[in-house]
Amino acid sequence: MNDALQKPVAVIGAGIGGLTAAHFLRRNGVPVMILEGGKQVAGMASSYVDDRGFHYDFGAHFITNRLAAAVGIGGQCRDVPYYGETFLVKGRQYSYPLGLLATPRYVVGALKAKIGGRQGEPRTAADWFRQEFGRTLADEVSLPILEAWSGAPADQLSAAVAQKLQNSIGRTIYLRFCSRLRRRAISIGYSQEMPEGPNVWHVYPEHGVSQVCERLLADLRDVVELESPVQQIIVENDRAVAIRAAGREREVSAVVSTVPAPILPKLVTGTDALEPLRQFRFRPMTFVCLRFEKRGILSDTVLWTAAAGFPFFRLTETPLSMPWLAPEGKTLITCDIGCQVGDEMWTMDDAALGDKCVDALESLYPGVRQHYSGCRVLRTPIAYPVYHLDYEEARQRFAAGTGVDNLYSIGRNGEFAHILMEDVYWRTIRKMNELLRKLRGAPPTPATAPRFTSAASGQLASV
Amino acid sequence: MQWSHAASSDDAAPLALAYQPCCLCGVEDGMPVAVGEDFEYHTSRDAFVAMRCGSCGLVYLNPRPADSELDRIYPPTYHAFQFNAENFGLAHRVRSRLEARRLLSYCRRLGDTPRILDVGCGDGFHLQLLSEYGRRGWKLEGVDASERAVQAARDAGLDIHLGTIESADLPANAYDLILLIATVEHVANPSAVLKAAAHLLKPGGHVVVVTDNTATLDFRLFGTRHWGGYHFPRHWNLFDKRSLRLLAQHAGLEVEMLSTALSPVNWVYSVRNRLVDRHAPRWLVERFSLKSPVSLGVFTVLDGILNALGRGALLKLVARKPRHTADAIQADRQPNQSAPVEVNGHA
Repeated sequence: MNDALQKPVAVIGAGIGGLTAAHFLRRNGVPVMILEGGKQVAGMASSYVDDRGFHYDFGAHFITNRLAAAVGIGGQCRDVPYYGETFLVKGRQYSYPLGLLATPRYVVGALKAKIGGRQGEPRTAADWFRQEFGRTLADEVSLPILEAWSGAPADQLSAAVAQKLQNSIGRTIYLRFCSRLRRRAISIGYSQEMPEGPNVWHVYPEHGVSQVCERLLADLRDVVELESPVQQIIVENDRAVAIRAAGREREVSAVVSTVPAPILPKLVTGTDALEPLRQFRFRPMTFVCLRFEKRGILSDTVLWTAAAGFPFFRLTETPLSMPWLAPEGKTLITCDIGCQVGDEMWTMDDAALGDKCVDALESLYPGVRQHYSGCRVLRTPIAYPVYHLDYEEARQRFAAGTGVDNLYSIGRNGEFAHILMEDVYWRTIRKMNELLRKLRGAPPTPATAPRFTSAASGQLASV
Repeated sequence: MQWSHAASSDDAAPLALAYQPCCLCGVEDGMPVAVGEDFEYHTSRDAFVAMRCGSCGLVYLNPRPADSELDRIYPPTYHAFQFNAENFGLAHRVRSRLEARRLLSYCRRLGDTPRILDVGCGDGFHLQLLSEYGRRGWKLEGVDASERAVQAARDAGLDIHLGTIESADLPANAYDLILLIATVEHVANPSAVLKAAAHLLKPGGHVVVVTDNTATLDFRLFGTRHWGGYHFPRHWNLFDKRSLRLLAQHAGLEVEMLSTALSPVNWVYSVRNRLVDRHAPRWLVERFSLKSPVSLGVFTVLDGILNALGRGALLKLVARKPRHTADAIQADRQPNQSAPVEVNGHA
C-alpha cells in the first residue's frame, strides 16, 4: 500500500453523501474516519414518526428502486404506486404534462418558441424557460415557481437551474403512460446523473428514507465519531494535510466534506481557493406539515400554487402516493414556504403558521378546516441552492472542483446543487473513484462512466 | 399496498451482500444498466443492480450476494441440478445433440490421449457427452464447488474434483483442453479463474469459454430489467466480445477464435421474466420455459438468424496458452479481488 493509503481519509458529515463516500472508500481498502457534528447520522435524509402514526420525512420523500438495490435494501422497500403533479394557474388546475398540453395558448406559445429557434445560448433562467417553453407558459407557470422557490427574480438566476430538466415532453408522456399502466411511480425528472426509464421507479423503505443511511452505517459503525464537529481543515501547499476536531489535530490523506459550500471556507486554513464560496446563498424554507382527519384533499400528490398568491408555492399530499405515511383515512399536506431567516414566516409561531396555511387552503378547498387537526413545522436555512448570476462563474468553477486537489465537497449542500438522494449517491461514487485513483497513485482516467446527458427540455416540474 | 417483490414468505430475510469491482479493471466505476430481482426462483426479495464498467464494458452485479449465500441462491430445485431427460424431455434430447456437436468441434485438434478438464462441471452433463461421443483415450475430469453437483457427477462414474479451480489440488501444465461452459458468469472473479486455467494448461493447450453475450438484440430489448442472461442474482459477470477478449488477454492467453453461438435460452427467460414481473397468468408464463418446445423452437430460429449476423446469444472463445511462456504466465497488472467462488453453471 502506498503512503497515501495509510493515513485515513476524513469524511465530514454522516448523511447519505458522507456515508456513501466512506462506504465506497472503505470497501476499496482505504481507511476512513467519519466526523459527524450531530448526535445522530442521516443528515437531511432522516424520518420522524409521531405518536399518532404520521410520518414526516425531512428532505427526501422517496428514493428509486435502483438506489435501494445499490445500497442493498431493495428487498425492504414498498413500491410507490402513483405520483403526479398539477399546476394551479389563475384559479384553474392543469395536470402535468397533459393538462398543460391541452391548453391552446400554452401550446401555441411553445410552438412559436420552437419554430423561432434559439437566439444564442440563454444566460438567465428567464431566457431559458421562455426560449424552451414559450413566453406564456414560462411567465404563467414556470417562472413564478422558480422565483418563489429561489427568492430571486428569474432574470437574475443562471440558466443552469434548468439543467435538471432532462426528459423531452414526448418521453415524459411515455413514462407517465408506463407509470399508469404498471401502477408504479416511474422516476421522471428525479435523476440527472443516471438514465431514467420504465424500469426505474420510486420506492419507499419499510422504515423510512433514513434506512438508506442506516444500511450504509451498519458497515461503518466503528469509524463514525458522533458529536465531533470539525473545527479546521488544514491545507498546506494546496493539499489538505490534517483536520482538527474536538481540539485534536489528525493527519489525513484527503478530506471529503459535506459541509454546506458557503461554510466550507470558514473551516479551511492555508489557502484562499475556497473564498469565492462565501458568496453562495441557500434559500431558507419553512415546511408546514398539516394533519387532516380526511384523505384525498388535493387532486394530485403535488399542487404547484406559486402563481396564485398564497403564502406557499407548493402543496404535497404525500399519502396520495404513499398511503402508509398517515393513519388510514387521514392525511398530511406539506406546505412549502420560501422565506428568509428571521422574517415573518420564519419567526411565526407554529400554530399561527398552521392556521395561516389552512386559511389559504380553505379558499381552495372549502370546508377543509373542519378536518384540520394540527401541524408540525420544520425550518431549514439551507433548503435550496440559489444559482444567482452574481456568483455564477464561481459556482461553475466550484462544480469542477474545490481548487484543493485532495479536498472534495460532496452531497446536496456540499456540492451546492439541487440534487436528490440518488444523484447524491452516484455523484459521490464518481468523485470517490477519482479520489481512489489519486490515492492509489494511478493516472487520472478520462474514460470513466459516461455521465448521462440528454437534451434539456420538457419537464416543468420538480424544481 | 404491495411489497415490491413477489416472494414466498420464508425468503423474507435479506441476503448478505458483497461489493465487487470490475474483475478486469479493478475499479467500481460504472453505470447502472439494470435493476432486477430473482424472477425465476424467488430466493429472496432483494433487488440487484447490474453495472456496466465505464472502461471495458463488462456488465457485473454490484453488490452481489455474499459467498455465504450460495446455498440460498442455488436452491435444490435449481435447473442445472435437475437438467435430465426425465424433467426436460425433448429439450434435453435436442440440447444434448447440439452440445455434443459443439463440444466435439473443440476437440478436433487433440492428440490420442488428451487430458480434458471441465470447470464448473455441475452434474457432469458435458463430460458425459464427451465420454459418450468422444474417443476412447480421452481422460476426462471435472471440478465444481457444489458438493451436491459433485456427488451427482461422481455417481455417474465421472472423475470430479471438489472445489474451485484455484483451490482444488490440480496439476500445473497438465491439461490439453479446459472447458468453461456457462461458468465465468457465475464466479466472482472470472479473471482469477482464467489465470488459474492458464496455469493448469500445457503450453499450447486450449481453453474454451462459452458465456452469455451482452451485445445482442435480446439485451437491447430487455436489458434494463428482464434480460434472461442476468439470471438475477446468479450471474455476476457478463461479457461482450471486447471484454471477453480482455479476460483472456489478462490471463496471458492468445485468442484464436471469438464468435457467437446460438441459444434460445436468454430469449425464453427474457420474455418469461417480463411476464412474471407483470403478474401475467400462470398458463401464459408457462408457455415460456425450457420445457416448452414451441418457445424454444421459435427463439432457436430467431437466434439462428441473429447468430448468422454475428449477434448470437452466446459468446464462444477459444484461446491458447503460448508455448514459449511455458509455466511463466505473466501476472496481470490488475489487482486481484476477493477469492472467487465457483458454482455449478449450466444456466
